[in-house]
Amino acid sequence: MNAVELHRKLENNAGLLIFGILFVSAIGGLVQVLPSVFQDALVAPSENVEPYSALQLAGRDIYIRESCGNCHSQQVRPLLAEVQRYGPYSRAGESAYDRPFLWGSKRTGPDLHRVGGKFSDAWQRLHLIDPRTVVPDSIMPGYPWLAETPVDAPDVQRKMRVLRRLGHPYTDEQIAAAAATLAEQMEVDAVVAYLQALRAKP
Amino acid sequence: MAAASYYEDGIARFLTACAIVWALLGMAAGVYIAAELVWPTIDFGQPALSYGRLRNLHTNGVIFGFGVSALMGTAFYSVQRTCHVPLFAPKLAWFCAVGWQIGMLAGGISLLAGWNAGKEYAELEWPFDIAIALLWVCFGVVFFGTIAKRRIRPIYVSNWFYGGLIIVIAMLHIVNSLALPVTLSKSYSLFAGAQDAIVQWWYGHNAVGFLLTGGFLGMLYYFLPKHADRPIWSYRLSIVAFWAFTYSYIWAGPHHLHYNAIPEWVQSLGMVMSLVLLAPSWATMINGVMTVAGAWEKLKTDPALKFIVLALAFYGLATFEGPMMSIRSVNVVSHFTDWTVGHVHSGALGWNALITFGTFYFLVPRLVGGSLHSVRLANVHFWLALAGTMLYVLAMWGAGVSQGLLWLAMDDLGELSFSFRDIMASMAPYYALRLVAGVVFLSGAVLMAWNLYLTAKGRPTVKVSPP
Amino acid sequence: MTRFYRTPLGLLLHPKTAFARVAESEPAPLHVFFLHIVRLALMPPTLAFVGAWNFGWRLGAAEPLYIETSQLVLVSVGYFIALLVGLTGTAAAARWMAPTYGASKAFGSHLALVAIVAVPLAVGSIAHLFPHVFLNLLVFIPALLWSLYLLYTGLPVALGVSPERGMLMASSLVAFLLVAAVTLLGVTVALWAAGIGPAIGV
Repeated sequence: MNAVELHRKLENNAGLLIFGILFVSAIGGLVQVLPSVFQDALVAPSENVEPYSALQLAGRDIYIRESCGNCHSQQVRPLLAEVQRYGPYSRAGESAYDRPFLWGSKRTGPDLHRVGGKFSDAWQRLHLIDPRTVVPDSIMPGYPWLAETPVDAPDVQRKMRVLRRLGHPYTDEQIAAAAATLAEQMEVDAVVAYLQALRAKP
Repeated sequence: MAAASYYEDGIARFLTACAIVWALLGMAAGVYIAAELVWPTIDFGQPALSYGRLRNLHTNGVIFGFGVSALMGTAFYSVQRTCHVPLFAPKLAWFCAVGWQIGMLAGGISLLAGWNAGKEYAELEWPFDIAIALLWVCFGVVFFGTIAKRRIRPIYVSNWFYGGLIIVIAMLHIVNSLALPVTLSKSYSLFAGAQDAIVQWWYGHNAVGFLLTGGFLGMLYYFLPKHADRPIWSYRLSIVAFWAFTYSYIWAGPHHLHYNAIPEWVQSLGMVMSLVLLAPSWATMINGVMTVAGAWEKLKTDPALKFIVLALAFYGLATFEGPMMSIRSVNVVSHFTDWTVGHVHSGALGWNALITFGTFYFLVPRLVGGSLHSVRLANVHFWLALAGTMLYVLAMWGAGVSQGLLWLAMDDLGELSFSFRDIMASMAPYYALRLVAGVVFLSGAVLMAWNLYLTAKGRPTVKVSPP
Repeated sequence: MTRFYRTPLGLLLHPKTAFARVAESEPAPLHVFFLHIVRLALMPPTLAFVGAWNFGWRLGAAEPLYIETSQLVLVSVGYFIALLVGLTGTAAAARWMAPTYGASKAFGSHLALVAIVAVPLAVGSIAHLFPHVFLNLLVFIPALLWSLYLLYTGLPVALGVSPERGMLMASSLVAFLLVAAVTLLGVTVALWAAGIGPAIGV
């Protein structure tokens, strides 16, 4: 039976057509994606890579809420110029606790994977609230509401418990202590803490 | 039984109207964020107007609002005619169509409120993911149910592509959206880091593949031969193209992750399969072009065909540009730049929007049994659409290639030649040009909305019986 | 000696006359190639060489990028060859499409059509004298629109087809040209990555 005859069989039978499409389109995923999903080494944390602290986690989720990733990547490619510009290139083990990953697809602004420690907390805070006070020709939006909204501590604790179910090694003590560390923190503090944590861990 | 002997066309009319509203809304959001990149303070400190959130409304509005409404409407319209039976379970179909609009509207609002799963083109949070999955199953039941009770034995080409859209998008959406909820507005992906990246681009690339390419090819395969009033040029070529397309597209995702922290073999395989993909993509283009080539007399009276011809031209560009940008030595420069944005828009504006506009100019007069309100207005729209797309693509090529080169440029001493800040600042003229392009394209779409509104106003949907 | 137009200005004012001359004379391919195509293709690389040598490439960022003279010669020669191949290739593509659209099959006519349509772009390449990307883009967009206009209006006249079929064939050629343009972009970028042209750190 040649291919055209096989096709004729499928196009005369709706059930076979559905199965055919499902089968043919699934092959790529089964061969290419599925092995990666079961390859534990791909998400084994590198040495010194710890789960995000309560404050950093809160900051990361605000980063996601405001879609910072639409304009900022977090992936330094192993290229001479890129390593020079940003710092050591990104490795898979650094993203082990990233749900979802935030490597990005566009750099309207610079990559942020190594931004930690490059600017002071005060600079970052000013920059987040109104970028043009510190970078006059910046086209980044300002996020003034971050300075007016307190971090929701119980919410962060709930998140830590969910993440623990996904395998992030948070202890009961860490989760309980989160309430105290997050008290009186504004959202902008959380984002700054997260940004300062984005650095190579030797 | 009497009611069932007519095609269910009211639903196609409803979805066409919704698609047009989504087109205007989604594109207006696009124009607004383009303006924000020129004047960054026009979000007035309002979270809902902030670039990040509004960009999600833009992409979701045009892909899932405009794109899916248009695909669902044309699929329901064409599946009845290619099967010679009225729609299966029309009430379920209406539930699906109306449910989708409500879901997308609520979803759009949730995006502005900052609900965000954090995955590109899959930003909607888990309650919406579940709703989408359920509605998608309804879509499939109605579509395949209609096919199951067909009165013509072979299933027509357009239905393979619409079928592929329904099946593959279901698979991708469900797997990629797997997450553990924290609250109503927040969940964490079941996948982490590099694995999440691979799954996400398997989804992301094939949302482009099976929705924006395959789904719209279904539209092409039904409406182009209808417009041209002659059969598709080569049936054999369409078979080969369909299966090759369905098989190879799914592998191409990792070209979004070149030089990223995923295994080398996954990247290389993604690149090779992206190159392979060119063959079935172009086979379809040739099939389309050859079909119109024999129907040129129709062009005198039918502005719709012009849109479809031009859509095929941009389809040819986008499906060539994509594989080219997946080559590692091109990608090393183009990745993360505006070239990618330009590439997406040569597809989204030049292919998806133009073929949908062409289809609507054909469909709406037939749905209401009248003639197009103004052919001249449609011709003006044609030139606005062409100019808008061209300007957009050129602006982003200029911006993207400049960024790619300048970010990587090094002097003799091995030092970087330019600061990121200077390069970013030098993008201003390109971004201004892109804003102009967007305004030109959007104004064309407004003309179309007005034209089609006047065409349909006061006319009931024509009742058509299966032959 | 076939001249289809006297000056570029004359072409702008009376495009139909030029195309009608093509239709009447059915020019010999070699004649058109050496008299028109080569001359047109020489202009942009020469101007680009002079411009880049004097002012460097200005891609918008602060400092212009100066290329070594030997590299510049290589790039210019490459540009010249690319244009020759591109223009002749476009004519060949048009010739290949001709039977489909019932157009004239004389290759000389296709070459002449391309030669006339390309005039605005060759004139626009005067902007290469100051190789600032955005300036060039600003000059080339109207030039390109002029060329597109010439293509859509001239093709039916020069190749003797009805305006409707001419519209289809012109659109097919637009597709071909878009693909050619993006190929040029891709090849250029790939050459950079291979170490030819400006130095990039990959």
